[in-house]
Amino acid sequence: MPETDRESKSRPDPDALLALAGQGRKGKLTVFLGAAPGVGKTYTMLTRARRLKADGVDIVIGLVETHGRGETAALIEGLEILPRRDVNHRGRVLSEFDLDAALARRPKIIVVDELAHSNPEDSRHPKRYQDVEELIAAGIDVWTALNIQHLESLSDVVAQITGVAVRERVPDTVLSRADDVLLVDLPPAELIERLNEGKVYLPDSAKRAIERFFRLGNLTALRELALRRTADRVDDQMVDYLKQNAIEGPWASGERLLVCIGPDLLSEKVVRTASRLASGLNAPWIVVFIERADRESGDGEGARRLDETFRLAEQLGAETRRIVGNDFVEEILKLARREHATQIVIGTRRQPFPLRLFRQSLPDALAERISGVGIHLVTDKEQPRPKRGVTAKRQMPEGFGRALAIAAATVGTATALGLLIERFIILPNISLLYLLAVLTSAIYAGHIAAIAAALLSVLAYNFFFIDPVGTFTVAEPHEVFALFIFLVAAALAGSLASRVREQAKSARRRAAATQALYDFSRKLSGTANVDDVLWAAVTQMQATLKRNTALLLPEEGDLRLKAAWPPDTELDVTDTMAARWAMDKKEAAGNGTGTLPNSPFHFRPLTSPHGVVGVCGFVQAGKPLEINEERALAAILDQTAIAIDRARLSRESLDHAAKLEGERFRAALLSSISHDLRTPLATITGAVTSLRQLGDRMPPESRDDLLQSIEEEGGRLTRFVANLLDMTRIEAGTVNAKRDWVDVADAVRAAVDRAHKYFPAREIDTSIAPELPLMRGDSVLLGQVLFNLLDNANKYGGDEPISIYARRDGNDIVLSVTDLGKGIAPGDLEQVFEKFFRRGKVDGRTPGTGLGLSIAKGFVEAMGGRIKAESPALRRRGTRISMRFPAAEAEISEKDRA
Amino acid sequence: MSVERILVVDDEPQIQRFLRPALSAAGYDVLEALTGTDALKAAATTAPDVVILDLGLPDMDGKDVIANIRAWSQVPIIILSARDRESEKIAALDLGADDYIEKPFGIGELTARIRAALRHRIQMEGGHTQLSADGVAIDTIKRLVTRDGEPVRLTPKEYDLLVMLAHHAGRVVTHKTLLTSVWGAAHGEDLHYLRVFIGQLRGKIERDPADPKIIRTEPGVGYRFVGDDD
Repeated sequence: MPETDRESKSRPDPDALLALAGQGRKGKLTVFLGAAPGVGKTYTMLTRARRLKADGVDIVIGLVETHGRGETAALIEGLEILPRRDVNHRGRVLSEFDLDAALARRPKIIVVDELAHSNPEDSRHPKRYQDVEELIAAGIDVWTALNIQHLESLSDVVAQITGVAVRERVPDTVLSRADDVLLVDLPPAELIERLNEGKVYLPDSAKRAIERFFRLGNLTALRELALRRTADRVDDQMVDYLKQNAIEGPWASGERLLVCIGPDLLSEKVVRTASRLASGLNAPWIVVFIERADRESGDGEGARRLDETFRLAEQLGAETRRIVGNDFVEEILKLARREHATQIVIGTRRQPFPLRLFRQSLPDALAERISGVGIHLVTDKEQPRPKRGVTAKRQMPEGFGRALAIAAATVGTATALGLLIERFIILPNISLLYLLAVLTSAIYAGHIAAIAAALLSVLAYNFFFIDPVGTFTVAEPHEVFALFIFLVAAALAGSLASRVREQAKSARRRAAATQALYDFSRKLSGTANVDDVLWAAVTQMQATLKRNTALLLPEEGDLRLKAAWPPDTELDVTDTMAARWAMDKKEAAGNGTGTLPNSPFHFRPLTSPHGVVGVCGFVQAGKPLEINEERALAAILDQTAIAIDRARLSRESLDHAAKLEGERFRAALLSSISHDLRTPLATITGAVTSLRQLGDRMPPESRDDLLQSIEEEGGRLTRFVANLLDMTRIEAGTVNAKRDWVDVADAVRAAVDRAHKYFPAREIDTSIAPELPLMRGDSVLLGQVLFNLLDNANKYGGDEPISIYARRDGNDIVLSVTDLGKGIAPGDLEQVFEKFFRRGKVDGRTPGTGLGLSIAKGFVEAMGGRIKAESPALRRRGTRISMRFPAAEAEISEKDRA
Repeated sequence: MSVERILVVDDEPQIQRFLRPALSAAGYDVLEALTGTDALKAAATTAPDVVILDLGLPDMDGKDVIANIRAWSQVPIIILSARDRESEKIAALDLGADDYIEKPFGIGELTARIRAALRHRIQMEGGHTQLSADGVAIDTIKRLVTRDGEPVRLTPKEYDLLVMLAHHAGRVVTHKTLLTSVWGAAHGEDLHYLRVFIGQLRGKIERDPADPKIIRTEPGVGYRFVGDDD
């Protein structure tokens, strides 16, 4: 173990190398980081840009705000400046950075100032840093400027220090992924001096804010933040360098943070704190939410807040998890062990005094059961109060009134029943009736009803049954005690019952969701057609999400709307662009994301094991999905992607099989042509040249024989060409079998006549049943079929006669051709009708072309008949090929008969 | 009787190359035409006794050649055609061609067709009323059919059918021609009438109805009456 450990450490970390390799295709990001506006970031950036330009580097200005400063404006002179895009925003014309122009220009380096800028509404990305990410992804190096106060994880600290809320924020990952961070530093005193000299930006409207912001204390604190951040980065880079070069050292902090959050307001703060901690420790961090298995996850407000917190955590670079479990402490411990967490960050709220007596707080419980792990507590002292009132009100269950009514009704019933029973029997434990009322309330209306019922029961019991009856006073002290015991018991039983009810409800809901999903997957497994899959998916999504949905698939290099609910949905340019983005970048786009949020649709890529197969979209319009919807959607999308994949694969494999079949046919055709054409041609050429050159010296019989062989071979060539033509017609599906009236006997005779012409030596026994009905078909095709069967029988029939018969069998006419040759091996019976299947050479006769029977089958089927081969046919020898056609009765009117 | 003149219309020199010596050896005078235009010119100027016409010509449709010739001449026309072009054959026959022969063909078959065509021309001129085939005699004046001297009782339709075929002895008659001439234009497609009546007719006149010698089937096209002269 130590052996492998050392080995792995002295080798370059593959992940580190991979990350480096991945960077190769992307552009590089250089961030000019400053503590505050006015420290000279833009100035520094432009000075450097000029220097590179002078060296011949292709560097252009994408966007620089000079804020009217002359020094800066002078620096731009002589540099290439990309034109800006004019955007009409609420009546004002804004001059914005033109991302598409920059992508089209493709410079080596582009300067884009003010990374934290927010784009106007109809831009592709809401934030400039997203524009920058796209530039980098396109392989363009970007230089940009950023003030430390805009960093997401520091926003609360900055707000605390300066008292100014920062609205424009940049995720920390942007900075940590930057290839270079240059700190542009200026001592605060000098900055203030510059400000007073009017060298820092000037808009009058912001004057007051600026005065509050640019105080020596603020600036010093911000400068410290900026310096520390840069120092951290330098540290990270050194560690990266050490890792890549396999240098041993104490670089691995080995710290892993586990951060527990919930749907409360405190969680956001917990995440920010954890983020700072993690970046300080250079440690990976996992944010986890533990969902109660027995509870449907939360009301809308809490779920939304939880989603937001998760999004924030992901932005800050955390890995996120949702875990279902009943015991918080146990689940946290399990995860901590599995992930080798070294620190746990958890939010804690000061609990009200009475609760503190009964319940152990989560951190205490954790601390008790875990060792060797640090626990960080984040307190909620600053949690804003007023919001609580609002949420508390909203959290009040809708069925509150109903719960009270049910409680009152059950207690009322219990009282009436009690009074009734008391008339007839003396019941010492009338209180049990009230317990029943409490349990009933709990089961039907939940724990609020249970508590209400318990309280009402105590009052009613006291009033109606405890002496003195009719008052709320209690005479006997032990009765007071009994009442108290009853209250506790009722409350406990009620809470238990309501919990059972909740569990049952949630189980039902889950079962319904599972059932729906199961039905869906069954529906999908039954469809091999992409369109059916899409339609099933769209309707399922609509049913689950109650939103309009759309599915797009790539087709001929374009992304096309293939299915939607409602079916006449149309997507505009923005929607399509967002969908395209989701497809190309394999990430969500459109409403609620950083890309084209103006689209009403939110698009997600459909990912199968073979990659992105399409894009699904649903109308979001500012209302993100709730957790359970999100889960259902994920399952639907997974199944859909796999089903699409499968449908596509099955189609491809069919196409492939058809292609393979076609290729086999062509290959067989070529070999057949070369063989079957060459032999007769060789014979004819040989015979003719012999006759011409040596004919004089030959006896007349030899000359006759040669001439006859020429005629025979000519006949063979004729048949072969005819067969090829027939086969081609069958292959091309252009056999138009007529539905004429056919006299079977006539067709048989024509075929036999033809056979006699080609092989006169062969004896053919014909047997045609008298009074044979007519059939519907094509006499020419039937004649060809019969001739092919006779030809085949001639080749394989040895020297025995061939028999051909036609008879009626019920409503069918049966025709068969039988030879008495060696027969067909049982294994080959199935194959005799396949193209180019030939049996071996028999008795020195030339084997067939392997087309005759296959043509026969094609023609018979085109005429609506059936054909089959049997072997042995007679006395363990021979082959019989028989056909069956429906008989047809001809009707002729009396008048025409005469 | 002078030597009969045969006009061979085929655009393929190989076919011309073997037909000219073969037909000359058989005692005919052979004229050649490689295109439809040449064929029409030759037919008008040289008055051939028989025209042998390939339907696939480079400059015009063989069927147009038939229609053109039939506008002014009753010269027998024999069609050369491929085996799998029934509909083309039938169309040509219905346009007035007298017979057809499938490529590839033996010279014997072709000379037999030529002889039958020439005989028909003579019959038209002479107006034959006595026809015989394999022991069956037809007297169209007495409306009498005998086999080996014994009268054969035929229904009027059977008789009409037999006479229609016999008048074209040695040559094919299409289904449509037979049906319209015997049953009327409304029955031009009722092939089952023919199948049934030909069966009945064979039963009455053929020595072995299972192996008919007098009325032969031309699959997909029609029937052929084979007389004693054919």
